[in-house]
Amino acid sequence: MSRKVARTILLLAPGLILIGFLFLFPLFGVLKLSLFNPGFTTASFEKLVASPVALLVMERTFILALTVTVLSVVTGYPIAYYLATSSPRWRTILVYLILLPFWTSILIRTYTWMVVLGREGLVNSVLQWTGLIDGPTQLLFTGLAVHLAMVQILMPIVIITCYSTMIEIDEGLIRAARTLGATPGQAFAKVFLPLSLPGVATGAAMCFILSLGFYITPALLGGRRNVMLSNLIDFEVHQTLNWSFASVLALVLLAATLVALGLFRLVAPRRRDQG
Amino acid sequence: MMNSFTFTRRLLGAAAFAAGLAGLSAQAQTTIVVNGSGGGLAQVITKIYEEPFTKETGIKVRATAPVSLPKLKAMVESGNVEWDLTELGGDDLLQARANGWLMPVDWKVVDPDNKLPAIARLPDAMVTATFSTVIAYRTDKFPAGKAPKNWADFWNVKEFPGPRSLQNSPVGNLEFALLADGVPKDKLYPLDVERAFKKLDQIKPHVPTWWTTGAQHVQLLLDGEVVMTSVWNGRISPLRKEGKPVALAWGGGQLQLSYWGLPKGAKHPAEVFKYMSIRLDPAKGAEFVNQVPYPGFIPGLMERLDPQVAQDLPTYPANVEAQFQFDPGWWAERRAALTERWNAWLLQ
Repeated sequence: MSRKVARTILLLAPGLILIGFLFLFPLFGVLKLSLFNPGFTTASFEKLVASPVALLVMERTFILALTVTVLSVVTGYPIAYYLATSSPRWRTILVYLILLPFWTSILIRTYTWMVVLGREGLVNSVLQWTGLIDGPTQLLFTGLAVHLAMVQILMPIVIITCYSTMIEIDEGLIRAARTLGATPGQAFAKVFLPLSLPGVATGAAMCFILSLGFYITPALLGGRRNVMLSNLIDFEVHQTLNWSFASVLALVLLAATLVALGLFRLVAPRRRDQG
Repeated sequence: MMNSFTFTRRLLGAAAFAAGLAGLSAQAQTTIVVNGSGGGLAQVITKIYEEPFTKETGIKVRATAPVSLPKLKAMVESGNVEWDLTELGGDDLLQARANGWLMPVDWKVVDPDNKLPAIARLPDAMVTATFSTVIAYRTDKFPAGKAPKNWADFWNVKEFPGPRSLQNSPVGNLEFALLADGVPKDKLYPLDVERAFKKLDQIKPHVPTWWTTGAQHVQLLLDGEVVMTSVWNGRISPLRKEGKPVALAWGGGQLQLSYWGLPKGAKHPAEVFKYMSIRLDPAKGAEFVNQVPYPGFIPGLMERLDPQVAQDLPTYPANVEAQFQFDPGWWAERRAALTERWNAWLLQ
């Protein structure tokens, strides 16, 4: 028994030390900054409740994270389905095509969108060449640009999590449904879809949580309204030098992430084979 | 363009270092400590000012960085003054003066012939450098002979169509809005904040993005994302040298100054005044400005410069005439509250 305990401690030690030093310790510093200035004060928390800017930015951050998640799931799910049902050789190629951009730096992918969406960029040039528009139209520095880029950046996560659930679904179950008289649509809706939902839930949760913390993409592609919580934190750190308020905002972001994680665990369907 | 500049600075730095080693053998009695911004700028200063000064007078110069008001306060109040001279920004100077942290400049030694203009000759400080926030525009986006000249033109989207950019900060932008609205430049302060925001409402829909860094406004202009934007003048000169289709409009530019002052209790004022006086040498000034377009008010400087370089400087006589002098004193107490309002205004 004690060997088992020793083994557990040994295996977990590197992770715990890393999290302790690189996450919990700095987090404690953030907490301290938010409450002491230099004596104990709740001024920064009071400012959060009273600040229309912070509340508006929080609201917009959640709405954006939610729409990006929904869009990623809606577009990613069919791709995952196609992957799971295609021939193994084709599948390998497709998986690489999805992973390649996923492994590319977010900064590079964001800059690429600047080239594509700019006034003198690809989309505007093509639209003007075909005569669909007379002058360049504003695509960059809009909510549209932020959505496009964030969905492109986050969709591979949804695809991969959905796909990994889908390939575990027993094809025999679909065939059984069909033999029992279900149309292909019914077989999909009543058998395949419910079985694939755990993958969707995991993908959506990851997508939502990552969206909440997005910083560089909205900063570079968005307009003045597309300010995320992370951008506001950066502003308070660098421009107003109000580190106490920045700490409060950072804690809000962390709390929101934890709540989102908890909600997904409550709502998400359990995997059948485990329950 | 950045790379070649960095490279030149490195080269200068290496040369300065080698020369510095050689200078160690010279018998220098006194060392004065001059505090500045550091970085590449410091290397240019070492080469052009500090080394020739040491060679000539035997007084060594030790450069420190960065500019820090809390440090100045600590030195003066503890009586342990390490710096003999320090650089100061506009609002730094006001605070230092209000707190009595500076000693008077002996202008009889620094500028015996009264060459400096009054704007650069303060009882407790000397203007060492100037920089400006001005309008830059794409020369190829407007028909020949038609170019924006001032903030009224910047606001005039009918005659000068196309997207614009401004800095994501109320400082400067409130002034620009008031100038665009017809307030004379000598009657700007105290700023009419309500009027300024009302005027800014007009330009808001034509500003797709609000820049935060100098690199960003250069990029926006070169990529054609905007046809004009507010810029820091030093960022545009290298682009013009490369032949890019950009130009500056100085009308209503925000002229900002940077100062040199002696901390109260500085130990070598006599030597420092001597050192300050070499800053008045127009030949050295020209050499400096050819590398860094942030000149002071040195008399005779302009005549020594290539006219192409001179007309892009904040202190070129016609440019000075066109600009307003920024008042950091007005902003000192109001900046935090107005920044808050600015953020709310942008999000609407």
